Amino acid sequence: MNWFSGLLIGLQEIREHKFRSFLTMLGVILGVASLLAMFALTAGIAAGWRNTMQQLGGLERVGVNDKQVSLEFADLAALSPGRTLADAEALRGLPHLVSHVAPEMQIPATLSAPDGQTVSARVTGTWPDNLTVSQHEIAAGRFLTDLDLERGARVVVLGDAKVAQLWPDEHGTDAEFLGRTITINDRPFSVVGVLALYEREEDRRRREAAAKGAPAPARFAMGGRSSGSGRRDMFSWKNESVIVPLSTLYHEFRSGLPETPPLAMAKLDNLNFRVRDLQRFDETLTAVQNLLRGTRRGVDDYDFDTREDWFERMETSLRSTQLSGGLIAGISLLVGGIGIANIMLASIAQRVRELGVRLAVGARRRDVFLQILAESTVIGMIGGFLGLGAGVVLLDLLGRVAPLESPPVIEPSAILISVGFATAVGVLSGLYPAWRASRLDPIAALRYE
Amino acid sequence: MRKTPDPSAAVDLVDVHKIYGTGPDPVAALDGVSLRIDPGEFVAITGTSGSGKSTLMHLVGCLDTPTSGRVTVAGEDISTAGSDRLARLRNRSIGFVFQAFNLLPRLDVQSNIELPLVYAGIPRRERRQRALDAAAKVNLTDRLTHRPSQLSGGQCQRVAVARALVNDPALILADEPTGNLDTANGADVLRLLAELHRSGRTIVLVTHDPAVAARAARIVEMRDGRIVKDTPT
Repeated sequence: MNWFSGLLIGLQEIREHKFRSFLTMLGVILGVASLLAMFALTAGIAAGWRNTMQQLGGLERVGVNDKQVSLEFADLAALSPGRTLADAEALRGLPHLVSHVAPEMQIPATLSAPDGQTVSARVTGTWPDNLTVSQHEIAAGRFLTDLDLERGARVVVLGDAKVAQLWPDEHGTDAEFLGRTITINDRPFSVVGVLALYEREEDRRRREAAAKGAPAPARFAMGGRSSGSGRRDMFSWKNESVIVPLSTLYHEFRSGLPETPPLAMAKLDNLNFRVRDLQRFDETLTAVQNLLRGTRRGVDDYDFDTREDWFERMETSLRSTQLSGGLIAGISLLVGGIGIANIMLASIAQRVRELGVRLAVGARRRDVFLQILAESTVIGMIGGFLGLGAGVVLLDLLGRVAPLESPPVIEPSAILISVGFATAVGVLSGLYPAWRASRLDPIAALRYE
Repeated sequence: MRKTPDPSAAVDLVDVHKIYGTGPDPVAALDGVSLRIDPGEFVAITGTSGSGKSTLMHLVGCLDTPTSGRVTVAGEDISTAGSDRLARLRNRSIGFVFQAFNLLPRLDVQSNIELPLVYAGIPRRERRQRALDAAAKVNLTDRLTHRPSQLSGGQCQRVAVARALVNDPALILADEPTGNLDTANGADVLRLLAELHRSGRTIVLVTHDPAVAARAARIVEMRDGRIVKDTPT
C-alpha cells in the first residue's frame, strides 16, 4: 500500500459521492477562487503601475532640482552658478554610471501651422538623450540628433496631443505630418518627428473598444489620434511635448537679450539623467553629488528627485491589498478545511465496517491513515483546480461588471500558491479524521452495524 | 502441562487467559485455554454464544493478543506483538471468511479478491493473475466485474473464500461461514472448505451448529471460557 493506491481509493470514493464531494469542496473552491482573483488583481495593478512608471521614465530617471540653500550658507549661495549646462556636460563625464543626460530649457511660445490652428505651448529645448530619459516613443519620423544640436537646426518633434491641436480637422497617419512647417514665435520650424500617444491602460482599452464598435466616434476614426481637448492626466506633459534642439532654442529665443550669459552658463529649467545600473543606484547618486560639488563651487543648492519613494509607497499599498485579500481567502479556505474534516469524519463513521475488513485482511494502521489522508488531499486538490476555474470565471465577471483600470494578470506563481494552499488544507483537514480511523479496533470495526 | 508453545504447530495456545474490562468485575472470556492445531488439520470450534469461541477465534486470527499465556500462529509468537506485526501476520498467514461476507460494496469482485494483495505490496499485474486463479478455484470467473450487490449470498461467500485464499495463507479461519446462507449454499461453502482441507490447508471453522461442525475432522467444544471437549469425529 503506497500513496498512489491511497490516491486511487480516494478518487474512487469521490466518484462514488460526486455531489457530496462537490459540497465538501465548495469552501476550498471559493477560497482558491478568491485567492487567485486577489493575486491576479494585485498583479494587474502592479503591472499597470510598472507600465506607467516606465512611461514616466522608470526608476532609473533622476532629476536634479534646485533647493533653498540653508541659512548659514546663504552668503555663499551667490557663488554657485546654479543649474547650468555645465552640470550636464559634467554628468557626461560619468558614462559608466550615468547612461543618458537630458538638460532642458523651456519657453512659453505661440505655435502656428499655416494650414491649421494657432496654439500656445511650452517649447522644450533639449538633447537627443531626452528620448531615453523621458522614455519617449517615436510614432513617425525621428527624434533630435547630435547634428541638429550642433547646427542649431530648426527642427521640432511634436507630441500626439499637440498635433491634434494644430491640425484638429485632420485624422491622417502620424507620418502625414512629417516635413510640414510650423512657426514657433514666428520662426519656421520643420516637423521631423511625432511622438506616440501615451495613455493609461484603461483609456487605451476604452478607446480600442470604441474603435471596434460601430459607428466609431469621429475622433477615433483614424489611427486613434487623441482628441487633444486638454484632457489632463499624468501623461499630458508628454503628449503636449514640443521639442527642439537645446542650442536652437537658446540661440533663436534666448540670446540677443541684454546680459545673456554664454550657453554653457545659461540656467536650465530641468536636468534629468538616467542611472545606467539600478544595482549601483546609490553609488551613482554619490558620484553625481561629488561631481556637482565641483560645478556648484561647493554650494549645496540642489536636490535629487527619484522615484524610489513613489515605488516604495506603491509596494506598501500593494502588500496591504494582498494582505486583506489573502485574509478573506484564508478564512474561506479555513472554513473549507473544517468542511472537509467534518465530512471525512462522517464518511469514516459510515465506513467503519469497510475499514474493519481492510484491517482484517492486513491493512496496517498507517495504511488506513494514508487512505483517509489521501482522500482528503485529493478533495483539497480537486477543489483547488475547480477553484482555479471559478477564479477565472470570477475575474471575467468582474471585468464585465466593472471594467478594471488594470487588466488582471494570472501569474504561474499565483496558480501554484493557490493550488498549493488548497492541497495543504486537504492534508491538514484530513489529519485528525485519518488518525481517528487508524485507531479503530479491528474486532469492534468488524462487528459494527 | 507445557509451558512453551511449539513453533511447528499451525496454531498453539498455552494457558491463555483473556480478560475484558478492569475494575471490580472483570470478565474472563478465556480462562486457561491450551490448544494445539497441527498443519493440515480441519478443526471446528463450537460452543454457545458467550462460551469464548469468538474470543478464541480473534486470538487465532491475530486480531487481538491475550491477557496472559502464549499464542503462536504459523510459527510466530504473537503474545506481545504490536499492531503492525499482527497486521502482517493476518495479511500473509491467515485468510478470513466471515458470516456477513464482509465484502467491500464499492469494489467489484476482482478488486475484492485482490484486497489482501494490495496490502502485501504485490504489483498490479501479479495481483490480477492471482485473483483470477483464486476466482477459478471458487468457480466465479464469470462474475469478476460484478459488484457484491449484484451477487447472491452464496456467490458472495465464494468471493470471500477466494479472498481468503488469494494470499496462499497457512490457515483459513471461517467464522460461522454458513450463518447467512440457505442450506444449499451453505453446503456449497462447506464443500469448498473441505476441498481446501484436502489440498493441504489448515482450516479452523467456528460455528454453533453441530451439523456444520460435524464436517470437520476434529471438534473442540467451549463453555465458559474453557475447552470442555476435544474429540476427533
